[in-house]
Amino acid sequence: MALRKRTRSTRLLVVILVSVSLLTITVDYRQGDSGPLASVGSAALAIISPLQEAVSKVTHPIGNFFSTLTRLPSIRAENERLRNQVADLQAQIAIVASNEDRIKELENLLQIQASLGKNVRTTGALVIANGVSNFEWTVSINKGSSDGVKIDMPVVVGGVDTTTARLVGHVVKVSPDYSIVQLIIDPDSAVAGRLEQSRQTGILTGQGGSDLRMGLVDASTPVAPGELVTTAGYRIPGVASSLYPPGIVIGTVSRELDNPAALEKFVTVRPAVDFASLDYVLVVLSSGSG
Amino acid sequence: MRRSLSLAAIIVTALLLQTTIFADVKLLGARPELMYLVTIVIAILEGPDSGAIVGFAGGMSQDFLLDAPKGITALTLTLLGYTMGQLRQYIVSPSPVLPVFLVGGGTFVGVLFYGLVSFLLGQLDTGTLNLFRMATLSAAYNAILTPLVYPVLRRAFAGSRSRKLRW
Repeated sequence: MALRKRTRSTRLLVVILVSVSLLTITVDYRQGDSGPLASVGSAALAIISPLQEAVSKVTHPIGNFFSTLTRLPSIRAENERLRNQVADLQAQIAIVASNEDRIKELENLLQIQASLGKNVRTTGALVIANGVSNFEWTVSINKGSSDGVKIDMPVVVGGVDTTTARLVGHVVKVSPDYSIVQLIIDPDSAVAGRLEQSRQTGILTGQGGSDLRMGLVDASTPVAPGELVTTAGYRIPGVASSLYPPGIVIGTVSRELDNPAALEKFVTVRPAVDFASLDYVLVVLSSGSG
Repeated sequence: MRRSLSLAAIIVTALLLQTTIFADVKLLGARPELMYLVTIVIAILEGPDSGAIVGFAGGMSQDFLLDAPKGITALTLTLLGYTMGQLRQYIVSPSPVLPVFLVGGGTFVGVLFYGLVSFLLGQLDTGTLNLFRMATLSAAYNAILTPLVYPVLRRAFAGSRSRKLRW
């Protein structure tokens, strides 16, 4: 009996609750966002939102953790994509940096070209290969006879940090599209040089990997380490002339070789050019004087 | 009185959890429906009248708080609480996994019913296929959560019921 009464009251309860629900649905449906139900809703929201905020502060990291777990595959893919992007951008930065260096180098080459004089014709060239042999110090450049390059033409270089022409060597072999340049450090190379302070001249011969050796210097000449050595550029009209125009920097005196008995003095000269990192060079097509 | 307070506390807790921690968790486009879970568990533990009351109160609160069409969740959960409470009386099984299945099945039917009412009112934003998918996923998540929620609620009601006669 009691159970039946209980069942009946439960049914009544459910009917009432369902009716209220249906009433709410109807009222809300008819009134939309402007009715009293909507304002009750926003009031309820105002009450509970501080609570929500408080709970959120505690549970947000947990929720984050779980949502991160569920998004793990996409996060991994994104991670990979971003890594690739970083690698790409780093490569681009490196290219931009080296391009900037190149631009600077080429600008300096242009200035050198101008400083060599109006009548001196030159052409820029890119070093495309280093010498193949251990006994030859040469480089290949991408300009040849079709660009006006001829054997014995001097080759100079500027650099990122300087606008002074520095001697590289001279052309020893020419083909239509490329040439081979013998560096001044090649043992077969001999350059007439002049000590900048004493104005004394000598002959600089290459010694391969080590510094140049300058001989035929007058024994009484005072020589100081660090003294600049430039090309002498002698010219005996009708008889002979040096390959190189005068005033091009060869290097600096590194050491004076002690030999009191000798009639001539030997000094070693450190080249001004870093031959390992040659990039753009300038071939002097005409000396301008003849 | 004490029982009403526990019911209110449970509803508020479920609402807070639903709108905070489970608002962030969305697996495959669906999230657990905590209010459905609580309604069904209380209906199982306490019978159809408590189920209907909790379902109504919880559903109404959720409708008003979540800026949803008002009354639909209340209607759904009232009927769901009552039905699950009735159903429980006819199932005699000592199996501890019974609540898991009841919660899973109840949530599935409940979400579909909610979708049906929304559809009749022209307020269903999603297609039928997606509705079935959501119902299935929500049912699965709720079923997974049941072993966590069920013992907590059973304990809460064992405390508030201690002075009443058990049958």
